[in-house]
Amino acid sequence: MLINGFITGLIMGGILSLPVLGVAVIYGITGIPNFAIGVIGVFGGFVTWYFISSSIGLAIAVGIVVCFIIGFVIQRVLLTPISERGGDSTLFFILTVSVGFVFEGMLRAIFPRPNISLELPRIGTINLGGFTVEGFKIIALVFAIVTLVVIRLMEEHTEIGKSWQATSQNLKLAKLVGIKTTQVFSIASGIGCALACVGAIFWGSLYNLQLSSGWDLGFMGFIVAVVGGIGNIWGGLISALIMGMVMSFSGYLIGGEWQSVILYLIVIIVLIIAPKGILGSERSL
Amino acid sequence: MNGIILQVTGLTAGYGSIKALKSIDFYAHEGEIVGIVGPNGAGKSTLLESIAGTVAASEGRIEFAGQRIERWSVLKRRQLGLMLIPQEENIFPLMSVKKNLEVSVILSERDKRESLIEYVYEIFPILYERRKQIANTLSGGQQRMLAVGIGIASNADVMLIDEPSIGLAPKLVTKFFETLNRIREDTKKTIVLSEQNIKVLNIADRLFGLEAGEMRFNEKKENLSREIVKDLYLGLLG
Repeated sequence: MLINGFITGLIMGGILSLPVLGVAVIYGITGIPNFAIGVIGVFGGFVTWYFISSSIGLAIAVGIVVCFIIGFVIQRVLLTPISERGGDSTLFFILTVSVGFVFEGMLRAIFPRPNISLELPRIGTINLGGFTVEGFKIIALVFAIVTLVVIRLMEEHTEIGKSWQATSQNLKLAKLVGIKTTQVFSIASGIGCALACVGAIFWGSLYNLQLSSGWDLGFMGFIVAVVGGIGNIWGGLISALIMGMVMSFSGYLIGGEWQSVILYLIVIIVLIIAPKGILGSERSL
Repeated sequence: MNGIILQVTGLTAGYGSIKALKSIDFYAHEGEIVGIVGPNGAGKSTLLESIAGTVAASEGRIEFAGQRIERWSVLKRRQLGLMLIPQEENIFPLMSVKKNLEVSVILSERDKRESLIEYVYEIFPILYERRKQIANTLSGGQQRMLAVGIGIASNADVMLIDEPSIGLAPKLVTKFFETLNRIREDTKKTIVLSEQNIKVLNIADRLFGLEAGEMRFNEKKENLSREIVKDLYLGLLG
């Protein structure tokens, strides 16, 4: 049972880690808390579902690209200008939640069935400690880790990545040395939303996607990111895995209804002890 | 004397209704070192930040390299060749010295970048020694050197520097100003620095006196009246 719980925890943590990474990337680079990325990601999930009969690869690509563009445009047109004029967290909360509602409304209007499931091919099983697990379920976690590693490598070794780091560490100086910080912000936002979309696609494949899924993924993703140290992508991953374990084990031990209670109690306790999150962060909320 | 490269006319700027600068006229010649001097609160930082674009001016013209730039973004002004080294928060704190410089050469062509960074290390050998050290673990004086190094690496034609000697030990100040002069000699760049330390007289070609947001004088060093020099020694002794 322990192993089973552990594996389930890995799976849930893995899926959760994608919107969490999305939040962390956006907040880490722009300093803007974006509460809409869950809904935007789910919107992308629905777009993928719409095209899935044509070609799975194409459908996924379209969903991700749509989310990237949405994230890019919202940042460029709405969030960056307001941030330049000195928006504060409360304003961004209200703004991004409103954007979330806009997309939820669009989902309602555009897609006839509010409860969908994505049929993605299963890739066979893997053997973990004597238990067979569907390889597919682990992929979300693998994807998150690979993304994280790629981001860190880019930050260390590529010009673009160094510009991201510089922008997040000192925005004014970044502009003064000639970094196109507006572009950096827009790309970060696009990537964050694209990651949320991948998370939604996995979620929709293993479970299902409903109108409320966007808020579930988005808010939970946000809170888990804060616990990890918002803006800290390693912290986000670790936090997501821990939360996945918590959800899994509390589900087994106490029963599903108590999952949320335990989860959020732990969030409160962690934040009292470490307000900047487990791994801390260059910024705290 | 070379031509005027930077010209400010009627610049008014401030925070809210309090005007830190009241219709200021200012200029700099190519290759000149201009010192903006004045007591605390005179508006020196505001002047430099308005020219760089990090603070918005409410009125006035700023002409640089033949363009009217007062409505331009910071980035665009930098692309044209104007850069500010701010007084505080002037490094990328969590990166190594080396990476700070690598990030700052971004506007230069690839084949120039290596030599720009080499030059910074030549000017400030200690930055080479500590090139792998994280920037916010450097001492105050070393961070100041890194900030100037970032300015050099950025390779702008006009470098605005906000109070570079503030908080530095007296012995370091003289050396620091010598270094700034050397940079001007080597690169022929224009340097505009705001200062309260009288030693700026060692290297400045011209002094621009600012007090309570208004210009007090604008003279070549050799033309400064005895009154003004006396005031400088008495009033501005850092």
